[in-house]
Amino acid sequence: MSTVAEELPAAGADDAGSASLWSKGLYKFRRDRTGMWSLAVVLAYVVIAAGVWLGFWATGWADLAGGKWEPVSAQHWFGTNIIGQDIFDRAIYSTKTSFEVGLVVAVLATVIGAVLGAVAGFFSGSWLDEVILWLMGVLDSIPFLLFVAAIAYTLQGNPYSMHIAMIVTFWITAGRLVRGEVIKLKEMEYVEAGHALGLPEFTIIFRHILPNTSHILLVQATITFVAAIKSEVILSFLGLGVKDGMSWGLMISESSQEVLAGFFNNFLAASALLFGLVMAFNLFSDALQDALDPRTVSES
Amino acid sequence: MELLQYSLRKIATGIPLVIGVTLISFLLMVYFGPDKTYELVGKNPTAEQIAEVRAELGYDQPVAVRYLDYLRELVTLDLGFSDSTGERVSAILARTIPISAAVALPGFILGNLFGVLLGLFAAFYRGVWPDKFIMAAAAIGMSISFLIVIIAFQILLSSSYGLNLFPVRGWDVHSIGDYVLYVTVPTLATVFVALGYNTRFYRSVIVEETTRDYVRTARAFGMPAGPLYYKLILKNCMIPIITRIMFSIPFVVISGSLLIESYFGIPGVGKVTYDAIVTGDQPILKAVVALTAVLLVAVQLLTDIMYRWVDPRVALK
Repeated sequence: MSTVAEELPAAGADDAGSASLWSKGLYKFRRDRTGMWSLAVVLAYVVIAAGVWLGFWATGWADLAGGKWEPVSAQHWFGTNIIGQDIFDRAIYSTKTSFEVGLVVAVLATVIGAVLGAVAGFFSGSWLDEVILWLMGVLDSIPFLLFVAAIAYTLQGNPYSMHIAMIVTFWITAGRLVRGEVIKLKEMEYVEAGHALGLPEFTIIFRHILPNTSHILLVQATITFVAAIKSEVILSFLGLGVKDGMSWGLMISESSQEVLAGFFNNFLAASALLFGLVMAFNLFSDALQDALDPRTVSES
Repeated sequence: MELLQYSLRKIATGIPLVIGVTLISFLLMVYFGPDKTYELVGKNPTAEQIAEVRAELGYDQPVAVRYLDYLRELVTLDLGFSDSTGERVSAILARTIPISAAVALPGFILGNLFGVLLGLFAAFYRGVWPDKFIMAAAAIGMSISFLIVIIAFQILLSSSYGLNLFPVRGWDVHSIGDYVLYVTVPTLATVFVALGYNTRFYRSVIVEETTRDYVRTARAFGMPAGPLYYKLILKNCMIPIITRIMFSIPFVVISGSLLIESYFGIPGVGKVTYDAIVTGDQPILKAVVALTAVLLVAVQLLTDIMYRWVDPRVALK
């Protein structure tokens, strides 16, 4: 976070002498016990996902390691599924899938939202703003699942159709927030100074205004991350999501037949890991929002 | 008269939205979508047969003509026939929308009602343990996937591993008793999922309102908390509450129950849509997408009229 703070050119310029929003936010976040704990849990998940990615563990997620529906044992920590694959390995491997989806969608959706939102806000009232607003309204009006289906249908089995659909839908919230903030920021003196110095509008928008919305973007990215993970589970369950590989949604989809036969390990393993990550990320996101809210930061 | 004029103007401003949604759905599903010719022609087709099917599907027309054709179909409600069953799309929708509404409505109403009540309760005890408890529960509720909630409720309430009180899935409704039997588990799951989000939203709206000056004045004059919350604060929160409720209606009616219906095998719009997604049934998907957009415009109009009704300060502009 400190590197981000250094890159902010104009942050805190109006209350000279006092710490920036970021260092105050960091201070506040450090004292937030729930926030710190949730961050620890999220980091634990990151380690698990990175380990899978580097091939340290869960490499045997697709192997037929045992018999059908073996109970919990030292060899199969969560038992085995209907065809004898190790549930623990599959659940751990799915962590990587979740992070993949969450990160790709959160980063790209936030970037697109930031760029289009900033442009719309800076040129608010112009035809460009109207077009972007219209696009937001239109994309907002298409039911999410149908939109994913339509994109999957168009792209004919492209494994990234789910990611694309989510990005196209999720940038809108970030875009609206940034647009509102930029409309406020563009009236400030440093922007006027930029105009007076003859800076190109492109530089003013992306170098001077947009960095001042980064606290909004960071919080919004964490919210998008959670939304993407949760959507992935439902989409994979419906057969619109992850095609190759393994994910918690696919595990739950497998388990929906098993639970009616009285075998719950698959369902519980996927649900518990999913719940842990989403819960920790939600709390982390809340804490981050509290820490970076300029209104509450100035009070502390 | 003034209202009529206002409504017409509102409908006019909704037109770009409908055009956008229909254009995107047209481009995605029809224009760039898969070529359906070879699904419809028989085995070993002749060149004439292929050309005939292509002409029937409109593939030989320019894009603009095909899009206008699609719009004409929507305006005249002549939505064509389902690819998989051959049934008229408008007939399918007329049959399934009431079922979806019957499935979704109880959960939708209860979810919002309890959300507002819990929000009021939490806002009243702001900062003390009832508030903290409700908000912690809401955070947990928000973190459990809808899918997991559905499956968990199914195991707990309708399987032999749980209480086994309700049918596992399906929709075999001939009387009120059947209805209650089949709708309970989906409703509980919907309420459970919606409650976390709703309570959080409504609490923040209500808390914001309690910081207003008139609330302090009313308190200073010794107004008891009950009337203060129900008569003054709740009334002033009606605009965000109405907005949230109204704008979720199109999604609840058309597609919100997609997961519920496909999981429980309830033959509503959600299930039909899901099947259409799986089988690539274009006419149904096109109709559902466009219908949602039209409904959204209608809801926007209705919401604006309701604003005036709950808050006379909002003049019709």
